[in-house]
Amino acid sequence: MTRTQVQVIERILAAVPIMLGVVIFTFLFMRMIPGDPVDIMMGEAGGVTLEEMDFLRAQFDLDKPLPVQLARYLGRLVQGDMGYSIQRARPVKEVILEAVPATIELALFSLLFALIVGIPLGIASARRQNSLVDRVGMTVSFLGISMPAFWLGIIGIIVFSLRLGWLPTSGRITYGMEPAAITGLLTLDAVITGDTQALKDALRHLALPAITLGAGVAAVVARVTRSSMLEALKTDYVLFAKAKGVPEMVVVVRHALRNALIPTVTVVGLQIGTLLGGNMIVETIFGWPGLGRIVVDAIFSRDYPLVQAAVMVYALTFVVINLATDILYTYLNPKMTL
Amino acid sequence: MRAQRGFGILPCLAALVVLAVLLVSVGAVTEYPAQAAGKTLSIIVDSVSDRADEAEIIATYLRAVGVEAEVRVWEWNALKERLLAGERQMYLTDWGSAYFDPFDLVIPKLSTGDRGNYSGYSNRELDELLKQVQMTADQNERKKAYFEAQRIIFQDAPWIFGYALKETEAARAEVTNWQPSMDSRMNLHDVGLTRGDTIVVGMKADKIITLDPAMYRDRSTETVLRNMFDGLVTRTWDGKVVPEIAESWTVPSDNVYVFKIRKDVKFHNGETLDADDVVFTFERILEEGAIAGQSSPRKGLLGPLDSVEKIDQYTVKFTLANPFPIFPQALVHFQIVPKDYIKKVGDNEFAAKPIGAGPFKFKEGRLDDQIVIERFDGYYGGSQEIPPVSVAPVKRAIFRMMPEATVRVAALKAGEVHIIQQVPPDLARTLSADKNIQVKSVDGTRVYCVEMNCKKPPFDDVRVRQAMNYAVDWNAILTSIYGGNGVRLASAFLPGGFGFDPDLKPYPYNPDKAKALLGEAGYFVK
Repeated sequence: MTRTQVQVIERILAAVPIMLGVVIFTFLFMRMIPGDPVDIMMGEAGGVTLEEMDFLRAQFDLDKPLPVQLARYLGRLVQGDMGYSIQRARPVKEVILEAVPATIELALFSLLFALIVGIPLGIASARRQNSLVDRVGMTVSFLGISMPAFWLGIIGIIVFSLRLGWLPTSGRITYGMEPAAITGLLTLDAVITGDTQALKDALRHLALPAITLGAGVAAVVARVTRSSMLEALKTDYVLFAKAKGVPEMVVVVRHALRNALIPTVTVVGLQIGTLLGGNMIVETIFGWPGLGRIVVDAIFSRDYPLVQAAVMVYALTFVVINLATDILYTYLNPKMTL
Repeated sequence: MRAQRGFGILPCLAALVVLAVLLVSVGAVTEYPAQAAGKTLSIIVDSVSDRADEAEIIATYLRAVGVEAEVRVWEWNALKERLLAGERQMYLTDWGSAYFDPFDLVIPKLSTGDRGNYSGYSNRELDELLKQVQMTADQNERKKAYFEAQRIIFQDAPWIFGYALKETEAARAEVTNWQPSMDSRMNLHDVGLTRGDTIVVGMKADKIITLDPAMYRDRSTETVLRNMFDGLVTRTWDGKVVPEIAESWTVPSDNVYVFKIRKDVKFHNGETLDADDVVFTFERILEEGAIAGQSSPRKGLLGPLDSVEKIDQYTVKFTLANPFPIFPQALVHFQIVPKDYIKKVGDNEFAAKPIGAGPFKFKEGRLDDQIVIERFDGYYGGSQEIPPVSVAPVKRAIFRMMPEATVRVAALKAGEVHIIQQVPPDLARTLSADKNIQVKSVDGTRVYCVEMNCKKPPFDDVRVRQAMNYAVDWNAILTSIYGGNGVRLASAFLPGGFGFDPDLKPYPYNPDKAKALLGEAGYFVK
C-alpha cells in the first residue's frame, strides 16, 4: 500500500467517532427543542384522549428516559435500522433514499453551472485586471452573492416561465416523460436509456433551480479564481514561460490555472456542502422533491428519527467531500500530502 | 397542522399605512382625561412569523390605550410548549374545525383542561353546557345550549376574538363545474375540462402524509385520498352531509346508527364493497396496533364509537358509548378500504399501492412530489345528490405539491396547472383581472384569535380581557392585511358551523370603553 492509501484508510476510520458524535448530539439537541411530536401529529381535531397520545408516544419510545431511548436508537442503528418516521408513518430509510437522488442531481447541476460560469469569468477578469470585463464580471458576481435565492428564483419563474414561456415553473419532469428508473438521477437515467426527450425535459426543469442555487457558488468561484489567478500570473514561472515564447493560452491554462485552482477546489469543496444542505428554499420554490425540504419539515414537526437520519447523511457527505477535496489537492499539488 | 399563508408586499405596505395612521391618531387623542395613576399594564404579544405583522398592529392598538405592548416572534411548537406551561401572557393562535360543529372547535379550545385550551380558561357553567351538548341528540336542545355557551364565552372574553378568513382558490377558465369547498377538499369527480383530459392541481402542501386512509390527520392528505376512496357519506361544498357509499341510514336510538350500503359499489380491483369492508375499515382504526404494528391516529375522530357490526351483507350497525349527534359529520372523514386486498398484501403494500372505491384509481406518485390518479371506469357514480352521477369526466388527475404561493399562481397563469389551492389576497386581485382564470372564495373553517392567559394577572381579570377586545380594530386589520377577505367573530363559533348565533355581535372597536375598563381594573391609561 502506498502512503496515500494508508492515509485514506486512516481518514475513513477517523470518521467513525465523528459520525457517532453527530448522531448523539443530534439526538440530544432535537429533544432539547421544545415541542411534542405526537401532539403535532394529532393536529387540531377534537376528541383526542390522553390515553391515545400516550399509546402513540410509547410506540415511538418517547415515554422512556433519554439514555434508554438513545441506547435503543444506537442499537438499531448499528443494525442498519434508522427507525420509523413519526409523521410520515414510513421507515426513515425509505423517505431518505427516495429524496437523495433529486437533491444530488440538483446539487450537481448547480455545481456544473457554477464552475462553467465561475472559472472562465475569474480567468477573464484576472487576465485583464481593472478592465471593463473585470469590473462587469465582479459586479455580476457581487450581485450573485448578494441576491437571495427566493428572490432570484421567483424572478426567474416570472421572466422565463410566465413572460417568455421557455421553462416550466416547477417540478422535476413532465408527467409521462420519466425515463426508466435506474439511478434515480433523471438526466443520468435518460442518458443511459438513450431517451433524448426525457433528457431534454429534465434539463428544462433543472435549468431554473440549478441556476438559482448555483448563482451564489458561481460568484464565489469567480472571485476566488480571479484572485488566485492574479497571483499566479505574477509568479516567476509564468513570467519565464512567457519569456520562453509559450503561447498565451497555454501559459494561462497549463501553468497558471493549475496552480490557481487549488484555492478554488477548497472553496468548491465547502460549497458542495452548502449546495446539498442549504437548498431547502430552492426546493420549496421549485417544488423540487429533495432532502432539504424534508429535513426542514421534519425539524418543524419534531420528527426525531427523520432529522437524526438526515443529519447523519449530511455529516457523512461532508466527511466524504472533505476527503475527496484533500485527495484532489495532492493531485493538483504533488508537494502536498494528506 | 398550521395554515401556511403567503404575504406579498402589498399587505405589508398596507400594514405600514395602518400603523402610521394609528401613530398619528394616538397623538391626537391626548385630550382624554388621565385616570388616577395606576400601575402600567405591560405585556408581551407572542406570535408566529406568519402573523407577525398582525401582532405588531395589535400591539400598536394596545399601546394606544396605554398598555406597554411588545411583540415577540416564535417558532410555533416552541411557543406552544411555553404557553401550555402557562408562562406566556397573550398569543396569536388559530384553530381549524373539520366537523362544521363546535365539537372540534369550542370543546377542545375552551373546555377546562382540554387539549387546545391554550388560554387556561375555565368556566364551570360552560363546561356543563358543553358536556350536556355532547350527551344529547336533540338538535334543538343542542342549539339552545350552544347559544347560551356563546353568550358566556362572549362575556368572559378569554380571547381577543378575531376572525375567520375566506379560503380563495383559483382555476383556469377551461375547468368546468368547479367550486372550492369549505373544508378545502377537492372533489375532482365533479370537475370537467373543455380542453384536454388531464387535470393538474397545485396543492398548497409540501407533502401529503400517506396513501393509507387510516394513517393521517391532516387535510391535504384527505384532499388527495378522497378522490381515490369514498366514504359512507360525503359532504356538499357548503357542508351538508349526504349519502355516498351508504344508500341511507337510520338512527333507531341515540346511540345506534344503521347504514344500508349500496350494492353496486366496486373497488378498483373489481371486488364488490360490502359490509365486511366497512366493518374492517373501522375496526382497523379502533384497534390498537392494527396497521403493521402501528395504531391509527384517527381513532379520536370517531368520538364515542364503541363497536361496528355486520347485520347482513349490506347493512352495518354502529354502536356508540353515548349520543354523538355529529357522527354523520365525522363519517365524512373516513374512507372505506378493501378488506380482502389488505389482508392479502399487507398494510405497507396497501399504502404503496392503494385500492379504494373512489372515482379515481392510484397510478403512481411520490408523497412530496406529485400523485397521479386515473379515472376508474367501474365507478358507481358517487353520491346521488351531487351531480354528475357518473364516472369522472376527466381521464387523469395529478396533484402537485407546490408549497410556494407565488409559484402556484405563476404555474396557473402559465397553464401548467388547472386548479390551485390557497391564493393569497394580493395575488387573488391580480388573478381576478385575468380572463383565463376564475377565482372563487368560500368561508373558511379556521378561527384566528389572540388568546390570553386567563390564569394569571393581568388577564385573570375579566375587565382587562374585555378591554383588550374593545381596544383592537379588527376591521382595519382585515382590510389592510387580508384584503377584506375575512369575517369578524363574536366568540369562538364559526358562522358556517352548527349552533352559530347570528344575533351576537362582535365587540366593537371602542378605545374609550377599553380605557374605562382598564382604569376600573386599576391600570394606568392614556
